[in-house]
Amino acid sequence: MSRLRCYRSFWIACWLLVLSLGVQAQALVLHRADVTIMLQGQSPRQTTASLPYLWDAQHRGQSGVAVFDMTFTLEAVPTDMYGLSIAKISNGYEIYLNDVLLDRFGDLSQHQVTDSKLPRWIAVRPDLLAKANRLRIVLRADAGRQGGLSTLTLGPQVVVESIHQPLWRWRVLGRLFVVVFSALIGVVGLVLWLTQPAVRPDGTWGRDPIYLYSALAESFWVFRVADSLMESAPLPLAWWSVASSVAVGAWGCLTVLFCVGVIAWRRPPRTLALRRYLLTLVVAGVPAGIAGWVYGVPWVLTGWYAVLALTFLVFAGYVLWHAVGRQAPQHSRLLAAAILANVAVGLLDLYRLRIEPSTVGSTGLYFSSVLFGLVTAAIVLTRFRAASAQVLELNASLAQRVAVKEAELARSYQRLAQSAQEQARSVERSRILRDMHDGVGSHISTAIRQLQSGKASDAEVLQTLRDSLDQLKLSIDAMTLAPGDITTLLANLRYRLEPRLKACGIELEWAVDGLAPLSRLDADAMRQLQFMLFEAISNVMQHARASRLRIEAQQTAQGVRIGVVDNGSGFDAAQTPRRGLRLMQERATSIGAQLQVHSRAGQTAIEIALA
Amino acid sequence: MWRVLVVEDDAGMREFFAASVARCADLKLAGSVGTLAEARAWLDDPGNILDVLLTDLGLPDGSGLELIRHCVALHPRCEPLVISMFGDEDNVLASIEAGALGYIHKDSTPDDIAQTILDMRGGASPISPMIARRVLSKYRSDRVDAADTPLRRADDAPPVDGDNSGAVRSHSLLSAREQEVLAYIARGFSYAEIAGLQGLSMHTVQSHIKNLYAKLSVHSRSEAVFEATRMGLI
Repeated sequence: MSRLRCYRSFWIACWLLVLSLGVQAQALVLHRADVTIMLQGQSPRQTTASLPYLWDAQHRGQSGVAVFDMTFTLEAVPTDMYGLSIAKISNGYEIYLNDVLLDRFGDLSQHQVTDSKLPRWIAVRPDLLAKANRLRIVLRADAGRQGGLSTLTLGPQVVVESIHQPLWRWRVLGRLFVVVFSALIGVVGLVLWLTQPAVRPDGTWGRDPIYLYSALAESFWVFRVADSLMESAPLPLAWWSVASSVAVGAWGCLTVLFCVGVIAWRRPPRTLALRRYLLTLVVAGVPAGIAGWVYGVPWVLTGWYAVLALTFLVFAGYVLWHAVGRQAPQHSRLLAAAILANVAVGLLDLYRLRIEPSTVGSTGLYFSSVLFGLVTAAIVLTRFRAASAQVLELNASLAQRVAVKEAELARSYQRLAQSAQEQARSVERSRILRDMHDGVGSHISTAIRQLQSGKASDAEVLQTLRDSLDQLKLSIDAMTLAPGDITTLLANLRYRLEPRLKACGIELEWAVDGLAPLSRLDADAMRQLQFMLFEAISNVMQHARASRLRIEAQQTAQGVRIGVVDNGSGFDAAQTPRRGLRLMQERATSIGAQLQVHSRAGQTAIEIALA
Repeated sequence: MWRVLVVEDDAGMREFFAASVARCADLKLAGSVGTLAEARAWLDDPGNILDVLLTDLGLPDGSGLELIRHCVALHPRCEPLVISMFGDEDNVLASIEAGALGYIHKDSTPDDIAQTILDMRGGASPISPMIARRVLSKYRSDRVDAADTPLRRADDAPPVDGDNSGAVRSHSLLSAREQEVLAYIARGFSYAEIAGLQGLSMHTVQSHIKNLYAKLSVHSRSEAVFEATRMGLI
């Protein structure tokens, strides 16, 4: 069952194929016509012509009207919709089928107003057709506007559409694409010119003119290509065509300047001369266009076109020669390829349209000019890539520089720390030196003096040396004393001196409270305080002839009060200023302590108040 | 009769210490040597019996601390004493941690030297206020600190070994009474005064300190073992 269905569908497909081939065969190409030509100011002339009929080739510099009569027969009167495809029917027309008006464009009596440039598609109702038919086309042709009629294709709608579509695609959509693409490149070029100043080939900083040239060239080209799609103009057609011609000139000249920028021509005087020449050329396009289009003197315009073409050819040769050199600038080869392609296509166009007009086909230059836009795009992309690479490189070198700076900073910090350390060391050194000078040093020199004089007893020398060793021990202890810890300072003093007190037969009374640390006393101040107390106790042992010594320390509202009280013979503090007392007073002043001495027979009290 | 070995590199000083020992009726000079090697050899001789090691720290061929550790290991009943010039806290504490139970100043009188040795054998170890302060700040437990410690210091560091196990051990290392005694010593009070203030016998106070020395030594050794284990050396 399914196999049967399969066979059936196969045969249906074959039949459809045959049918479609048959239909294909039914498309009719009309390429001969009886023509009645009516030139302005002349009597009508009848002739037979084959299509395409190119008016400018037949009637150079003249405008007129031509009536094309074509007869054709159909095997049967069709029932489906028919279509008529005409590649070119310029510049104005009326189409009649069996005396029925099918389509018209423009006013046949008014020359140089409208121009039917696009391919035409005309739907034909089947009831308008008979077995024998007559197609009449009345054509208005304007001098110098590529007037004429191409072959006509008539047939069932499906068939003729398939023939018409590629025609439409190339002649209309293709050019529309060129318009859009060129406009895009133009806008991008303009934006780049406005926003991307860079280092120019001559080393100066500023806007890059090649973007501007590219943008302007593309915009003129947009105008030109768009014009080829416009069948009626906002200006009188003649003046509009002048603008269109000048636009071609401007496009060409700007393209030359763009090329000069790309190949980085470093000869400013010549560049200036070239610019002047090109400007003159473009400006000359205006009178030439007016002569050609408005006053109907076409050779002036043709001459201008020729000069333009010659200029491009010479310049193209120059660029090509430049591009094959070993040190060709970036993109110059790409540019040379684009120029080569454009020149070739341009020459071909010239040959087809002006020298040996054989077709009414499209102009290849419209498409080949896109290559310049692509070159611009390639330049922009390359520069963008280079800039990105540069940024990356810059970042890398920046990171490296930051690292180097950081290392420098670390080194200078280290030097700073080192010098601070040296500073601290030198402060400590001077403290120790002073300590030795006041303590051990002075005792030892005293001992030497005592021995040298021979007057001192052994006991006295021994005493001096013991003092010296005690001072040394206290000095060492002071190194580990916490700053402000007066309690430990006192305790340590007792520990060091008690054996000697005992040896002197002095009973010690210890009345030391736990004291809060006095944080303002630094190591040096602690040592000064230690000296003062040592001096006080030492005086008691050597001079006071005391039997009891009381050492007290209390926390007061203001700070700390330390007392050294003995029951010895006492002295007159006011009348006999002793060297030891004077030194104590100095030390007290240096650490901001109050020193008071009260002495009478039986009690001497030395009081140190620290706030 | 306590047998005493004197180890001191300075010949004059060595003779002085040897003489000080020899003239004391209760002490017997077992020997006197000048180097670490000689002292080791003497200690290694199984025929020698020793009660007191009297050693200097700075020996020409090594440290007295090494000798103390060697002695403690070989002669557990022997009590080492360090001869110290200044009795400064760094050296004394290091000696105690190595196993010493006391120290003698170089400028002591011969009688003082003999007395210090006898006191130590009798259970009394000397301690300076600064060492007491250092031991307190290193090993004090928080409990007693929070109670009525008679003295406070702004720069008192927490127990040096900062990890938890160390904190637990330091809790058990010093007893409350030991801490009280140490605090009084740090304030300058003598053993006798402390005994009076605390209502204890003088001997009890002294033995607190000697026990403390033994503890510190054991602690420092276990600490070393702990550290070595932690570092994967054992």
